[in-house]
Amino acid sequence: MRERLVIALIVALLCIIPLLVPTFTLTLIIEALIFGLFAMSLDLMVGYTRLHSFGHAAAYGLGAYSTALILLHFNLPLPIGIVIGVAISIIIAVPIAWICTKSTGVSFAMLTLAFAQLGYAMIFRFKDFTGGSDGIGGIPRPAGPFGLDFFQSKSGYFYLVVFCLVGSYLLCRAIVTSPFGAVLAGIRENETKTRALGYNTRAYKMSVVIMAYGFGSLAGALYTPFAGFVAPELFFWLVSGRVLIMVIIGGAGTLIGPILGGIFFMLLEQQLSEVTQLWPLIFGSTFIAFVMLAPDGIWGLLTKHFRSKRPVPGDGEDGGASRAAS
Amino acid sequence: MPLLECRGLTRSFGGLVAVDSVNMAIEAGEIRAVIGPNGAGKSTLFNIITGVLPPSDGETFFAGERITGFPVYRVVQKGIARTFQLTHLFPDLTARENVRIAAQAQHADRWRPMAGSHVFAASRRIADETLEQMRLSGFAGIKAGLLSHGDQRLLEIAMAIAQKPRLLMLDEPTQGLSIEETDRAVQILRDMLAKGDLTVILVEHDMEVVFKLADKITVLHRGRVIADGLPAEVKANDEVQSAYLGGLE
Repeated sequence: MRERLVIALIVALLCIIPLLVPTFTLTLIIEALIFGLFAMSLDLMVGYTRLHSFGHAAAYGLGAYSTALILLHFNLPLPIGIVIGVAISIIIAVPIAWICTKSTGVSFAMLTLAFAQLGYAMIFRFKDFTGGSDGIGGIPRPAGPFGLDFFQSKSGYFYLVVFCLVGSYLLCRAIVTSPFGAVLAGIRENETKTRALGYNTRAYKMSVVIMAYGFGSLAGALYTPFAGFVAPELFFWLVSGRVLIMVIIGGAGTLIGPILGGIFFMLLEQQLSEVTQLWPLIFGSTFIAFVMLAPDGIWGLLTKHFRSKRPVPGDGEDGGASRAAS
Repeated sequence: MPLLECRGLTRSFGGLVAVDSVNMAIEAGEIRAVIGPNGAGKSTLFNIITGVLPPSDGETFFAGERITGFPVYRVVQKGIARTFQLTHLFPDLTARENVRIAAQAQHADRWRPMAGSHVFAASRRIADETLEQMRLSGFAGIKAGLLSHGDQRLLEIAMAIAQKPRLLMLDEPTQGLSIEETDRAVQILRDMLAKGDLTVILVEHDMEVVFKLADKITVLHRGRVIADGLPAEVKANDEVQSAYLGGLE
């Protein structure tokens, strides 16, 4: 109950932002929120299943390009274009997930990276279709359906992004607390044991990779009509590396942490890269500092104080008594 | 018809034949111990039956169905639960959640990606019952990784029982336990086995434990079955004496 109140409060606060800040700042915030959504999607794999992806840019790029091409070539309303873009990305994610989950550990990470780089290379290969290194520009934001057009303005688009972010968060939270999510936790803790309990772990891993691609491609799909153009860099491995670092800095396995990590670092990057060229150095040292000093990330630091007073989830009536006895 | 039947199971690693044409039939309700010196092929046999390793030759039947070549999770879904020689747990989850995930595996809802808490009720009830049975209720809320080694061994057995298996395979359940802990584990196992109609295969080094628990004993030596029968018969067998028991008696 208290948690719902906090979420409602955060959403309410988000909703008044467009009234307070100038247009340029709003642009930065929208971009940061989209990246927060992107980081959260990766957390399903990294934080909850301990599947380390070095190629999550593939999800972002797929969502961005498929939405761009749909909006450009078909006269469809923006929300429908986004939905179709995400659907296409999910379909493409199925064989990717099937192949990647054939391996584990480092080779899994390398395979995800390979698929992202494959996407990058295909953009150049099919130049006529994808615009090659020029990317695709002039992507419209068509109104509709039902005469909806609020997302054509900047503040309206902000609300669309907030809606998608909060909706995705609630969905992801439901997933990780479900029986399915419990199996993911089992795979994270000990995959051999999970299989020995009768779970087809490969199928669960495939499912979570596809889900992560789905939410990640939604972030990409939201980025496209907002920026108005897409470029092959969206697929580039630097994007994959950056989002992985944001998940870890934000606090892997918390959903909300990676959102904060994504938002925080996009805003920080935008501010600092204006005043200094040393931004990557700062980014890197912050990462190292977090790994060494605060492995639970930003969210871990924020909640540390409360955790010690609150019971751990799954703590029964007898938990405290037996702990006192032992 | 035996519950589990192995026909000519063989597995070689390069030139080494770890399991050599093993025939074994286990009737429902039986408690069978598989013993033998180190390297006799006991764990390999376990791994073949549960589908971890494919056999080089031979077949396994479970309740009349050929299960050779099934992936691990399908063998388990048929009703065979196992524990590992080296403890395998979910260290960062509570003891109750460890057992609950095990119970959930037999549940039709195990795939549901969205669910209210009522879906967890059935598996949670089984988890609490099983913890009670293994006398671990006091530790339900504690992370499995923080339990003592002895309690971890018992927790792993609890996870296997929570799957409601037809055949329970225990790989050295008292491995690494102190004498007191072993006595406690044996006591709990005996109580549990006296109650249920479980069929059990037990790999064990501790002869005292074997003679306390087993109805029948199969002796492996260099991958081959050298004796098979009631504990008294096996004890009296000359070949077994020289291969294995000789040093102990």
